[in-house]
Amino acid sequence: MRTALLVFVGLALVAAPLSGQGRPLQVRGVRSLSFGLLLPGIPTSTARTDPALSGELEIRGERNLEVVVTFGLPSAMTGPGGAVLPLAFAANDAGYSGQQSIGSQTAFDPRLPFRAVLSRNGRGSIYLGGTALPGNGQRAGTYTAQITLTVAYTSP
Amino acid sequence: MRFPTRVSAALVATLSLLAAEARAQNSASITATANVLTPLTVVGAQNLSFGNVFPGLNKTVAVTDAGAGRFDVAGQANANVSLSFVLPSNLSDGSGNLLPIGSWTGEHNTTGTATGANFTPSAGATNTTLSGTGNLYVFIGGQVTPAVNQPAGLYSGSVQMTVVYF
Repeated sequence: MRTALLVFVGLALVAAPLSGQGRPLQVRGVRSLSFGLLLPGIPTSTARTDPALSGELEIRGERNLEVVVTFGLPSAMTGPGGAVLPLAFAANDAGYSGQQSIGSQTAFDPRLPFRAVLSRNGRGSIYLGGTALPGNGQRAGTYTAQITLTVAYTSP
Repeated sequence: MRFPTRVSAALVATLSLLAAEARAQNSASITATANVLTPLTVVGAQNLSFGNVFPGLNKTVAVTDAGAGRFDVAGQANANVSLSFVLPSNLSDGSGNLLPIGSWTGEHNTTGTATGANFTPSAGATNTTLSGTGNLYVFIGGQVTPAVNQPAGLYSGSVQMTVVYF
C-alpha cells in the first residue's frame, strides 16, 4: 500500500508539470456579434469596439499564462429559405483585453491564431467585429451564423 | 495484491494526464446575427391639386380633401421610419411667374384613409412606424396665395418626400 501511495504521488507530480496550470481553461460567449438592421446592397460593419454590437468572449485560466486563441469564422450567415449573407473579417477586426475592457484592446487578425497572456486574475476578453455584405437582392429576414473560439495554453 | 495496486496507480496517472489535456484547451461559440430589411419604396400616388385659383383669393387644400397629395410607402413591417420633405415656396408657370405656396400640412396613417396623425411637413425628420404589412400613407395639404394681379396659367412645383429607416 505504501508503494502504491508513493507511485501515485510520483505520477501526480509528473502530471502536474505536464498540465502546467492549476486552473482549468474556460471560454464562454458573452455577447453575439450583431450587424443590426441591414439594407440590401449596403455593406455594414460592426467595430470590435462597439459595446453593444461587437461579439465578446471571456477566457478564464491560470494567471499570467500565455494562450493561443483561434477563431472558427463563418464565411456567411444563413437566413430565410437558406438564403446566405456573406461575411468578411479583416486584419483589425478582433481585439484582446487582459483588463477585460472594451476600451483597451490589442487588435489582432481573427483569421489567424493569436497569442495572448491572461491577466493577473487569470482572465481575458476577446472582442470581434466584422462586415456583413448583403447583396442587392438580399432576401429580407433574420440571418445567423456561429462563431467559435478555441483557446489553448501555449505551453504543455 | 501488488499487481492491482500498480494498475490503480497507473490508472490514476492516466486520468490525471487526461484531465490535464482536457483543461489545456477549451472552446465556446457566439452567434453572428443580422436582420435584412425590405427596401423602402416611395411612390407619389396623388398630386396635390388646388384646382382653379382666383387672383387675390387664397386657396387651401386640407389633408382630408380630395385634392390632397399622397405618397405611398412600402417597406419592412413594423419598421421605424423618418419622413423629410423638400418643399417649394412657389409654384411656377414656366414663364417666370410665381405663385406662392406654403402653410403645409401633413397626415400619415397605415390604412390609406383620411384619418391619422397630423404633422407639419418640413426638412426636419418626422418619425413614424410602418404597418404590420409594411405600409404607410402620407397626405399633404397646403395653401396657395395668388396675388391680385396673378397672371393666368398653369402653375406647378415639386414636393419631394424622403423616407429612411432609423
